[in-house]
Amino acid sequence: MFPIYKKELQSFFFTPFAYTLAGLFLLLFTYTIVNKIADVTGHFIYFSFTDVFYNAIIYFIFLIPILTMRTFADERKFGTEVLLMSSPVSVLKIVLAKFFANITVFTFMLAGTLIYPIITEANGSVVYSQLICAYIGFFLWGTMFICLGMLISSFTENSIIAAIIGELIMFCFLFLDDFANTGFISEYPKLQSVLMAFAAQPRFAYFSQGFIRLSDIVFFLSAILVLLSWNYISIEKKRWNRG
Amino acid sequence: MIKIENLTKYYGNNRAVNNISFTINDNEILGFLGPNGAGKSTTMNMIAGYLPMSGGTVSIYGCDITKDPVNAKKNIGYLPEIPPVYPDMKVSEYLSFCAGLKKVPASEKKSEIKRVSELLKISDVSHKLIRNLSKGYKQRVGFAQALLGNPKFLILDEPTVGLDPNQVMEVRKIIRDLKKEHSVIFSSHILSEVSEVCDRVVIINKGDIRAIDTIENLEKSFKTSLVLHLKVKGSKTKAASIIEITKGVSEITDITDEGSDIYSFTVQLADESDSVRDELMAELIAAGVKIMEIYTDKPNLENVFIELINRPVQKTSLSDLVDEIISEKETKNAEEKEEK
Repeated sequence: MFPIYKKELQSFFFTPFAYTLAGLFLLLFTYTIVNKIADVTGHFIYFSFTDVFYNAIIYFIFLIPILTMRTFADERKFGTEVLLMSSPVSVLKIVLAKFFANITVFTFMLAGTLIYPIITEANGSVVYSQLICAYIGFFLWGTMFICLGMLISSFTENSIIAAIIGELIMFCFLFLDDFANTGFISEYPKLQSVLMAFAAQPRFAYFSQGFIRLSDIVFFLSAILVLLSWNYISIEKKRWNRG
Repeated sequence: MIKIENLTKYYGNNRAVNNISFTINDNEILGFLGPNGAGKSTTMNMIAGYLPMSGGTVSIYGCDITKDPVNAKKNIGYLPEIPPVYPDMKVSEYLSFCAGLKKVPASEKKSEIKRVSELLKISDVSHKLIRNLSKGYKQRVGFAQALLGNPKFLILDEPTVGLDPNQVMEVRKIIRDLKKEHSVIFSSHILSEVSEVCDRVVIINKGDIRAIDTIENLEKSFKTSLVLHLKVKGSKTKAASIIEITKGVSEITDITDEGSDIYSFTVQLADESDSVRDELMAELIAAGVKIMEIYTDKPNLENVFIELINRPVQKTSLSDLVDEIISEKETKNAEEKEEK
């Protein structure tokens, strides 16, 4: 399992890939933070990091599929899937190795944003409890979407298609709660509650407000577990259908 | 020993490999021969544990590839049809990754990579990106990957495709040398290669095994030819009359005039004894006709191959017959439906 993890990291960090992605994310994150600071008025200057994270989500939607698009699609495109499958490593370990590699890059991207709390702390004060909550929420949320991106990558051998479809689906997910709260859906309360159950956004909102609720953590962890299992099944199924 | 029993593969309703069984003994090179689309690669993918089979078993030194894949795959080195290389990696990085994947102990990794690089003569490109290598080098890098960790059983799917004639000779030599410590299954559609390298051959077409035997036996099992080619210098009528009356000759099928009193005869013989040839030569020389060339068509693997492939499959069991009847009925039904 470790060699695959290492190889994946090499493919991210020995090329400009991870740095470009992290740089782009930091740029977009900075843009939101600058906007927040520009909005500040009055004598007491304060702004909320959690708000920044909340706003950064929409940019992140476009970056996660780019991170995950190559995961399985490229293996299939270059015929290297055969190498992995015919070596003494189980499919589950292949999926996990790739998952952890993606998480590592995600953590690297996230680590870049720590620069702003540090600057803020140097010139003022930071509410740590809320900040830590926001980071936990953002990490769980991102991990879930990475699993989703990997799953979409396992469906195709074209990484660009994987990225576009990933962006589309994640976009739908992001606005699921808004959609559930529209007047039309409100007429069907049962449907509304089902849709709300799948909406990740409000759960992330709790984190960004500084709440750690067990139900939210269970939601994210179970979504990660289900998506990873689905990844495994999808790869196995592709093997059966190959021609 | 590698045992393949009743291996079958369906793609949807399409049967790609049909109930094939054979074994590969220790220290043996088994050739896997068939035209394009015969099911060679599918079979090899199944033996390597990449594709799951629809039916049958593959046992690699006692480990079943579906029940105990991790242990079975430890003994396999696989070079697929398209070398499984990452274009963005350097050759050395790639081999190091593969060594890790094959669980080569860290202490032996360096020496192992050195060994295979030298064997396949890729040491000089080890710092190049695979993307920039020629097809022949990529193929050799893929081959090196299969040899890493010294697995006992090697599956080589057309290993010489894309190599120049010099490299082909080298790779064939490597494969022959591998026999000392390994069992090899080796697919190809180049007949001369198979007859040069392999101990036994399996001939497959449209998913069915047509023959499993040593090359000598295969050649023997097909009748030696009864066509004699004769090139003489001298009188055409004289030669023809002598040939016709010689015992054992049934007829002259063709005479071509090659200019300056040289004629080529194609002669059909009645039986395959050498005495006909001797007698014919003696008679012709006595009559003052110079013999420039005399030979009979020899059966070679090529002829055997073509004949075996074009031969209809013999129905050996009742279930085969039932299968056939069912499929015929199905096509008939489908046709009727279309008409409606």
